[in-house]
Amino acid sequence: MAQYNIEKQLNILDYALSSLWRRRMKSLSVLLVFAAVIFLLASFQMVTQALSDKAKQVLAYTPEITLQKMSAGRQETFPLTYKDQLDGIFGIRRVVPRIWGYYFDEVRLANYTVMGMDTAEMPEGDRLDSALASGKMPSHEESGRVVIGHSIKKGLDLGGRSTFSLFRPDLSLKPFEISGEFSQNTDILTNDLMVMTLDDARDLFAIPAGQVTDLCVYVANPKEIDTIARKISDALPAVRVLTRPQIQKTYQVVFGWRSGFGSICLLAALAAFVILAWDKASGLSPEERREIAILKVLGWETSDLLAVRFWESVIVSGLACILGMTAAYIHVVYFSASLFRPVLMGWSVLRPELHLLPSMAAGDILLILAFTVIPYLAATVIPAWRSATVPADSALGG
Amino acid sequence: MFLNPWSLALTLCSFVVLILGAVAGKTAVRVLRFWEPGSDSNRQIRLENEIWLSSTLVAYGLGFQIITLILFVLAADQFCQVIVGAMCATGALLANPYGMPALLVKLFGVFFYGFWILLHQLDIRSEQYPLVRIKYLALLLLLPLLVLDVTLQTLYIAGIKPDIITSCCAVVFGDSTGGGSNLLSGYSQQELLLAFIISIIALVILGRGLLQRWQPWLAGLYAAGWLWFFPLSLVVITTVISSYVYAMPYHKCPFCILKPEYHYFGFALFGTLIPATFFGASAALAGLVRGKGGLAGVVDRYQKLAVRLSLVLLVIFSGLSFYHYLKYLIIGGEG
Repeated sequence: MAQYNIEKQLNILDYALSSLWRRRMKSLSVLLVFAAVIFLLASFQMVTQALSDKAKQVLAYTPEITLQKMSAGRQETFPLTYKDQLDGIFGIRRVVPRIWGYYFDEVRLANYTVMGMDTAEMPEGDRLDSALASGKMPSHEESGRVVIGHSIKKGLDLGGRSTFSLFRPDLSLKPFEISGEFSQNTDILTNDLMVMTLDDARDLFAIPAGQVTDLCVYVANPKEIDTIARKISDALPAVRVLTRPQIQKTYQVVFGWRSGFGSICLLAALAAFVILAWDKASGLSPEERREIAILKVLGWETSDLLAVRFWESVIVSGLACILGMTAAYIHVVYFSASLFRPVLMGWSVLRPELHLLPSMAAGDILLILAFTVIPYLAATVIPAWRSATVPADSALGG
Repeated sequence: MFLNPWSLALTLCSFVVLILGAVAGKTAVRVLRFWEPGSDSNRQIRLENEIWLSSTLVAYGLGFQIITLILFVLAADQFCQVIVGAMCATGALLANPYGMPALLVKLFGVFFYGFWILLHQLDIRSEQYPLVRIKYLALLLLLPLLVLDVTLQTLYIAGIKPDIITSCCAVVFGDSTGGGSNLLSGYSQQELLLAFIISIIALVILGRGLLQRWQPWLAGLYAAGWLWFFPLSLVVITTVISSYVYAMPYHKCPFCILKPEYHYFGFALFGTLIPATFFGASAALAGLVRGKGGLAGVVDRYQKLAVRLSLVLLVIFSGLSFYHYLKYLIIGGEG
């Protein structure tokens, strides 16, 4: 019994394949449009996936808690003495002061991220040198030395020189000497980054002595992050306390939202395709009606004809999925998703050359299938039934 | 939170299933009103064609519902990343009161769809279509379930606010020391495991007995056994088996075993349990329509096949569920 059923389905599959081949132009047009729709949706999904993975990787190295002073809803600098008030809280491994700001280079029309900190104080500070392609991080007393990212080096157009100058707010020049360069592996973080000592950063931005923009709090036990964050916000009520998990969730929401928004836009393309598929499946040529009538006269049942149509749909959607997803993968990995990147990543002048590597789990593939194949199957089932119930006598002209 | 690819996919699939259901429902009403097996009027011939359409639609609907069931669990797993305090699907599903009911309705809905397909398959084996009226009455009864499913799912998705604090599975299913909400507590592991083993043995004995000599009351008992075994297995998987799969005593969660980290083990586990229960329970159900014209032989053949299939799947399921447990007993824990 089972043997018979399998053989029957195999024969029907065989017939479906040959029937698709006989109408190859029609099948091919549906296949290509379907593949294009899947390509768009899958690319979007893969970019989101890769970007949120990247964000997760990046955030893994951020301090567990970041403190910022807010005044009138805007961030401002605060005295280093705040650090003393954290002394009594157990579980804090280290507190590292930092100056974080953006420098707009009016000559090159680009924004640089400037970070002033004492790298020797960071828990993993001595390992930072491994992120450099050349040179070393400036130490506490090395005034005027900076480490710069790849794009800044290109933008400054230094040639063989290792010195350059930036303007202070009062338009006097502050000279810098390059002591090292970040490797391109960390481009997503360090592309537009300039790391210098705390004193240099204060000097560049004209921040009074003893002031910083953030405090990075490193916590030994990740389970204590929330408790310590609560204690800090009790001790320093004016300070905004950002925890790493909070930031991670925010990123996820933003990426999910953007990807959902993109998917809604692509739903229009999907709807157009479904209408096309419906139309292609319902318009029966006289030859097709004759074919169905002959099959019926030969003893085929309605269920067999429906099975043929089902297999045809499965073959078309399977091929379209393979085509569309492969194309999407190539688009994302080798062309860095050039079609969608502006939508998902925001805008900046110095664009890191991002290498995206989507990791598709079975669930993500199922998601794309649910988005595309289910509407397609549903759109073809009613036309399939209509064609399968063509009365044999009328079609043969009897 | 509709603006998320997972919510959109779920909503889209539900929308498609609702449309298919509505078209099939229209046929059902016409069949119930105008079906006359003896007549050869135009309307009767049209109706006979239409029942093919509606059964195909319901078959598609069943397939889609199985996909949305998986999609729903995976989506919950994704949602947990944006809900503060949730660490896996459990936390995400408990984030609002509609999550768990939506999952349960989806899960049991799959069984009801399956029973409908079974009725349909039995019906078309007989030349007189003896089950048409029952089948379409059942279809009309299934539609509210479908609407309920979609409503709960939509309410759940709408109710997800990415800032509500919920419990993660370490609190919900773990041994609670504080006042955390604990879904499944108060069961002793040893007693549960004992009940699980006894149930498996009892089902095997009943099934063997049925295959040797078919008796309606025994078939009823067998079906009842499966209806008891299914929830028991879900509890046992959650409280006992899962923590052996994770190799972590306090991680008790029926959803994380579906993840790639655990080699999609959960799909094998639920993928044998659900069909096994379906076949086990449906054997007795098929017996109810045995008396209809021309169905006796078909039903007998199906019942034997269903019991045999359910036994085979049961053996595979128990093998899978004891694999990690025995591995732990024999070679000890991981590293």
